[in-house]
This record gives sequence, structure tokens and C-alpha cells, in this order.
Amino acid sequence: MTDITIGLLSFPALLTLIFLRVPIGLAMLVTGMVGLIIVTGDANLPFARLKAETYSTFSNYSLSIIPMFLLMGHFATLGGMSQALFQAASSFLGHKRGGVAMAAVGACAGFGAICGSSLATAATMGRVALPELRRYGYSGGFSTATLAAGGTLGILIPPSIVLVIYAILTEQNIAKLFLAAFIPGVLAAVGYMIVISIYVRMNPTSAGTRPRETYPQRLKALMAVWPVLLVFSAVVGGIYLGWFTPTEGAAVGAFGTGFIAWRAGGLTRTSLADSFYGTARTSAMIFFIVLGAAFYNGFLALTQLPQEAAAWVGSSGFNPWSVLIIILVFYLLLGCLMDSLSMILLTIPIFWPVVQELDFAFVSMVDLQSARLFDLVASGKNLPSGLLAEAQDMLASGQELSRDVTRDLGLRGVSEGVLNRINIERTAIWFGILVLIVVEVGLITPPVGMNLFVINAMDRKTPMVDTYRAILYFVASDLLRVAVLVAFPAITLILISW
Amino acid sequence: MQVFMDKLARLFALLGGAVLAVLIVMICLSIFGRSLNSVLNSDLLQSTIPNLADWILAFGVGPINGDFELVEAGIAFAVFAFLPICHLRGGHACVDIFTKNLTPRYDRFLRMMTEFIFATVLVIIAYQLFLGMISKYGSGQTSFLLQFPIWWGYALSLIGAVVTAVVGVYIAAVRMTEFMTGTDVLPQDTGADQ
Repeated sequence: MTDITIGLLSFPALLTLIFLRVPIGLAMLVTGMVGLIIVTGDANLPFARLKAETYSTFSNYSLSIIPMFLLMGHFATLGGMSQALFQAASSFLGHKRGGVAMAAVGACAGFGAICGSSLATAATMGRVALPELRRYGYSGGFSTATLAAGGTLGILIPPSIVLVIYAILTEQNIAKLFLAAFIPGVLAAVGYMIVISIYVRMNPTSAGTRPRETYPQRLKALMAVWPVLLVFSAVVGGIYLGWFTPTEGAAVGAFGTGFIAWRAGGLTRTSLADSFYGTARTSAMIFFIVLGAAFYNGFLALTQLPQEAAAWVGSSGFNPWSVLIIILVFYLLLGCLMDSLSMILLTIPIFWPVVQELDFAFVSMVDLQSARLFDLVASGKNLPSGLLAEAQDMLASGQELSRDVTRDLGLRGVSEGVLNRINIERTAIWFGILVLIVVEVGLITPPVGMNLFVINAMDRKTPMVDTYRAILYFVASDLLRVAVLVAFPAITLILISW
Repeated sequence: MQVFMDKLARLFALLGGAVLAVLIVMICLSIFGRSLNSVLNSDLLQSTIPNLADWILAFGVGPINGDFELVEAGIAFAVFAFLPICHLRGGHACVDIFTKNLTPRYDRFLRMMTEFIFATVLVIIAYQLFLGMISKYGSGQTSFLLQFPIWWGYALSLIGAVVTAVVGVYIAAVRMTEFMTGTDVLPQDTGADQ
């Protein structure tokens, strides 16, 4: 049996374990350990690796961002920020048809900007908005579906824990990924609001309105939201501008929200302890999956399977777009069964080498040379004018500059290698955002959409079937958005400079 | 026993949380020191109030030395301390859709087997961590900036790892009792609040 075969056989073995309800992290760890023993023929190797690997995984500086972001989400809830966001959004939108539901989505988006996880956003906003929605005559299934869908904004809109994991797995810049997620996240919120407005027109009895508020009232409600804005700009802005590392940004965010929660009187001994318990449970769950994935992926790498798969796809001449779409559909299907983080940790080490081989040609040599030449001219350097004009004409007509011309102009950073690196980075960012969205769809698709369960559990009177029926509209909007983002990569990549 | 385990798990979650909070504050202080340092060294202050700026700088205003290393060691401790509560309350992520319709007997059997494997793995992890600590102790390896021995970090983490292993064995024993007697003792997975 070749190593590749062993690698391939590990998939059904792993899936069997997972489908037998073995915790995903444990299943990956055990499969990885057994696989390592079979491939190397050395029964001591996995144990020897455990000596240092658990510690090095749990003490990873980049991963320390995760408990900090989780704690930040808890503090944000204690600080009453979810309440403030919903009040503000509601005062502007509440009087419209379907307006309270739109406000709930808007508030979810706002809360997503200070919370990195989807379930936390759904749960927090659910507690605040669900009673209000019901009070203003919104039907049960529509209310729960709105909040379950709104919750997914928690992970789309930066900061996002899943993106952090993706960035670590693919060795990409977290700040750039956060930035790239911004427009798709806002599009998601807008898409959900459009869905709401369509839904209430199709089912007029499903929604009521609340009285219109005056402008002074609205202004007052809006003023209460400033801490959210402040924390978001400090964390995401600070990380992006390079003031601090993502981990430091998370610490600043946790400190800031903690301070606000304390000022608001939400930070009591009990609530602080509960925040620690919640953070502890979720962090431990995530780190255990990360540990399992490290073992499983270490084993897979040893079998050469990811490299072989990538080489095979790269040399087979498949249409890159078809490969991409197949992968995305696969995520949608798997997402119906598994949580997003496990999926990312399980699949990205295999899919990313494959996707890396696909050429989507985001940036051509002409683009690169034009941009570099533009920078060079802008830098005010003295250039031979005849040659410059000639070069500009060539680039304008879509012709690459020859090596001699770039050398004579002193144009740097225009090698094939640089071009390749830029394109891979752009592919990684774009693919990451697409994957993020499709795995999040899994949170709101039956049968095991976690967000649906969390929200539905808050409203005992609403049967699950009603929630399922209404959520389909939101899922449709998600799928449409994915299609748009696949067709127009520029929407995701426009904020990212190279 | 249940009460004791619950108290133990909660105690460690709080300890981990406290360390996490301390790290957060330390990072913020470090950023503050670093920013203050660069402001005091800026051309503007150095040309307008050089004496005052240098006087403050003389107190050693700057980033906290080795904060990076402390975060790494602290987070490892925190994560190991977080594991017991997650494990005790069935917080690990799993896929339960295909096992929903099992008869109680098979269901308990499956739970017992899973928890048995889990307990074994957790004990192995704790034991290997212990061996790892011994080897770091023997090698005398220290951290880069603060020069504290690496094995300290291992030793701290080991406490959490041992508690996790104890909780794992306890859960496995409970699931075995449940299978043998056909009654439920502990609540089942409560699901993770991701």
C-alpha cells in the first residue's frame, strides 16, 4: 500500500469516526496518530511528537488571539452594546414595513464588528431582539430565521475567528483578510435586509411596525453606539495600519470592551465568572480541534497527498473556475453536517495547495509593470523621457515591457516571481472570503444549522419547521452573493493593495 | 463526585480566565509603553522639551520586555486550564445527526467507547507533556529575551493537562456506569457555544 493510498483511506476512516459522534478534534487526532504509525512504521513517533506538539500548539502566539476575541464578545454583551445597537438601528428603521427585522440585521452587523463568532452574535442579538420582534407582531419563524441569518454576520464582518484560523493555515496576512471581508460582510447585511423587505411583501401578515421616532430620539439612540465604533476602529484599524499585531489588537479590544462593560455596570463577579466559563469552553473546543488538525494534517503531508492532488489538478488542465465551484459546492454540502471551524481545519490543508495551483490571472505582467512604473514616475525620479513615453505607450496597448526596457528604466519588482506571489496572495484572500461565506451558510441550513438551534431554543412557541421555511429566503440571498463574489473577484479584492 | 469535578473544572476555568485577563492588561501596557516611547523620542518632543522627554524615558518607558514570551507561556496555561470545563460539559464539537435515532443501549455504548478513547488520549497527552517537561528541564533551554527556563511553561501547563486527564477518566467511568446500569447519570452533550 503506497503512502498516497493510506492518505486516501484516512478520509473514510475519519468521516466514519466523525459521523459516529466522536468529537471532531479527537477523531482527527486519533486518525492522524494511527496514520503516522502506519506510514512511518514507527509506533513511538506520534507519542514523541506529543511531547512538544500540544504545548507548542497551545502556546502559539497567533492563536492566542482566539480566547481574547471570545472574551471580547462576552464583554461586549455585558456592556449592553447589543442593546444599544438594536435600539439605534430600530429607531431609524423600525417604522418601516419589516423594519424591526431589518434593524435586527443591522444590529447583528454592528455587533459582528466587535465579535468574532457567529453563534455568539446570534445568541446575543437573539436575547435582545427576539422579544421586540414578537412584540411588534413579527411571526415566529420569520423572527427566528432573521436572527439566525443575522448571526452569520458575526463571522463575516471582521474580526472573525474563522478567518484567523484560515490565515494561519494558508500563511496569509490577517489584516488583509479582515479588510477583504469588509465589503462582502456589508453586502451580506444589505442582502438580508432586501430579503426581509421581499418577505414581508409576500407575507403581509408576518410583520408589524412600531411608531416612528423623532430625530432627537434617533440621535440619542445613535450616540449610545459610539463605544462600538471606537472599539471596532481601534482594533481593526490598528491591526491594519500596523500599530499592533492581530493578537495585540484583540487584547486592546478585550480591554476596551471590558472597560466599557465595567463602566456600564455590567461587570459583576458572577457575570465575569460566566464570561470566563464561556470563553474557556469555546477556546478549549477550538484549540482541541486545532491540535487534532495539526496531527491529521501532519500525517497527510507525510503521505504527500496534498502535494500530489495539487500537482494532479495543476497538470490536468481543468478549468480553474470549475474546480473552484466544485470546492464551494462541496463546502455547502459538508456545511449541512459540520461546524465551520472544523471544516476549515479539516479541508484547507488539502484544498489550499490545489487552489494555489489554479491560475485566475488577477494581475497580469502588464498590470504589474504599469503599477510599478506609475509609482516610479510618482516618486519623482529622473527618467529618460523618450524611453518612458515608449514604455507607457507599450503598456497602454497591453504589451509587456522587455527585460532591457525595465532595466534601463530602473523598474524593480516586476519579475515573474513577484507576479506569481501577488496572484497567489490574491487567490488566497478571495478564496478565503468565499469559503468563509459558504461555510457560514452551513450554520443556517437544515438539518444541523447551529444558529437555527440556538435561536429556536429561545422561542419555544415557534416550531422548528417555521424557522426552516423562512430561513430558505436568507440562504437564497447567501447563494446569490457567493455567485456574485465568484463572478466579480474585484468586489472582494478592491480594498487590498499589492 | 460530580460536584467536586464541577468545582474543579470551574476553578481551573477561572484560573485560566484570570491569566488571560492579566495577559490582556500586560499587552495593553506594553503597547502603551511602546507608543509613549516613540512619542517621547519623536522629533517634535525632542526639539521642544528634550529634558522632560529624556527624564521620562529614563524611567524605562517602553514596551514590556519579553511580552511575546509571556503571552505564549500564559496562553498555553490558560488553554490547558480551559480544557476540563469544556470536557466535563460536553463542549467538544461533534456531528450528531447520524446517531440521533440510536436506541438508548447503543447510544450509551457509543458514548462509553468514545469517552474511553478520549480519556486514553488525554492521559497520554498529560504523560507526554510530562516527558516533554523533563527533557526541557534536562536541556536547560531558556526563552530568548527573558531567559526563563522553558520547562516552567511546561510545568504550569502540566497542571491543567493532569486535571483534564482526571476529568476525562471520570467521564469515561461515568459513561461506563451508565452503559452497565442503563441509567443516565450525567447530562449528555450540551453542544458548544462557538
